[in-house]
Amino acid sequence: MRNLQLFRLFVKSSVLVELEYRANFVAQALLGVLWSVITFSSVALFYSHTDTLGGWNYGQAMVVVGMSILLGGIISTFFEANLQRIIAMVRDGTMDFVLMKPVDSQFYCTLRHVRFSGLTDVIAGLAVTTYALITLRAAPGLAELLSFAGMLVFALVLAYSIWLAMGACAFWFVKVDNLQELFRTLWDTSRFPVSAFTGGLRFALTFVAPVAFMTTAPAQALLGRLDVGTFVAGLCVSAAFYVGAAWLWRRAVRSYSSASS
Amino acid sequence: MVKKFLAFSRVSWALSMEYRSQAILWMMTSLLMVIMLMVWLGVSDKGAINGFTRGDFIAYYMVGWVVRTLTAVWASWEMDYQIRQGTLSPLLLRPIHPILNEIAANLTEKIFRMAIVMPIVIIVLILSPDAHVNLDIVSLAMFVPAMIGAWMLVFLSDYLVGLLAFWTTQTGAFIMGFYGLRLLLSGIVAPLVMFPQAAQEFLKWTPFPYMLNFPTAILTHRLPANELWFGFAVQAFWVTAFIFAVRGGWRLAMRSYSAVGA
Repeated sequence: MRNLQLFRLFVKSSVLVELEYRANFVAQALLGVLWSVITFSSVALFYSHTDTLGGWNYGQAMVVVGMSILLGGIISTFFEANLQRIIAMVRDGTMDFVLMKPVDSQFYCTLRHVRFSGLTDVIAGLAVTTYALITLRAAPGLAELLSFAGMLVFALVLAYSIWLAMGACAFWFVKVDNLQELFRTLWDTSRFPVSAFTGGLRFALTFVAPVAFMTTAPAQALLGRLDVGTFVAGLCVSAAFYVGAAWLWRRAVRSYSSASS
Repeated sequence: MVKKFLAFSRVSWALSMEYRSQAILWMMTSLLMVIMLMVWLGVSDKGAINGFTRGDFIAYYMVGWVVRTLTAVWASWEMDYQIRQGTLSPLLLRPIHPILNEIAANLTEKIFRMAIVMPIVIIVLILSPDAHVNLDIVSLAMFVPAMIGAWMLVFLSDYLVGLLAFWTTQTGAFIMGFYGLRLLLSGIVAPLVMFPQAAQEFLKWTPFPYMLNFPTAILTHRLPANELWFGFAVQAFWVTAFIFAVRGGWRLAMRSYSAVGA
């Protein structure tokens, strides 16, 4: 309950920050639109040469694209700025002040900042998804929407856990910008249905860096193509990732020995 | 001049040796070439697309990976940082243009990255007998200037975007935006011939395809002579235009620069 109140404060202070740096907000928002267009066209390009990609037709694949843009927007709204702050605080030692606060360090460090410019991606993602559903003339029923909501929650937990784990790594390696860069590259695969990939890469995208559960699976749910097995796997993988990441965070904080000049 | 350049190179070599593990992690970000290749292979298993067989895709993306490694740039991020933090000021006091430092650092790190990329590319090409790469003297003689031109285009355009940091604090957005366009239009997401005809006609007048698609195509396809010379001409035009733009931009920047205090 208290955390909820705190979170409201975090959002409020983030709004004030965005109002202070309006040019940044506009630039980032426009950038989000540009990247959404690039993501969309890069997948559309494939469909000018083929009818199906990994068993997905154009409309179905566009749902995946929509999910990819949407999730990317949520990641940049809630997770990226916080990770940058964690890295900066570990580097210059101001993490001390966070750890002294009477608040759970994981909660504070991962949710302190909200970057509202990422919401343009969220809107763009919803627009692409709607466009795809119209193309398909598909109206998801209640069962689809419910399983979609479930998969979306798993996807968010996964994204949160991955960013939490990266934040924990910052305590040991300080410069984890590269790790973030690596994930961004893997994220480039998220705009394609995972079945477009074969062999080792597909396995890695399902279980190592579970991009498959973040975009393909929610899209399957929305299209009514989700089987129970995938749903249960999504539940298990996201739970496992969260437990692992939270454990990593606790260990990281314990090993933190501040930075001094 | 050469001595100064070599001194910059040595510093940058020492730096990349210091951060070896990072360089390897950085290398993994170029996985994008492999990812795009795999998607195209999935599409092309039913037959050739626009004349591209599976082997053609493998050859294109492997050579493209080498080209992309050789044209990797990051000068704009450095400039953005230096200008915002004010650390550019001492560099300006040196009797040598800061761009030289960026060029030296860029070229030196290439040695390091190529040492990782080349073995992978060679092994993949050997294991794929239907992937054909032109290694005759004429193709190689054409590839070298096209490659140098590609590097100049990428480096200079990146430097131009970096110059924006003198006037705006939003350089990061410009860098990422331009990077996105380059991913899509230079031939990384798809070889240029996969684009719709009208888009191809338009793109061949822009600098983008000459940053990656052009040198790659020289080594993997038999470009007809007229396309070849047209390509070199447009590439040379943009290189010249960018050189003038960087010089002009730099002069304007120096006039308006008033250092950020530390």
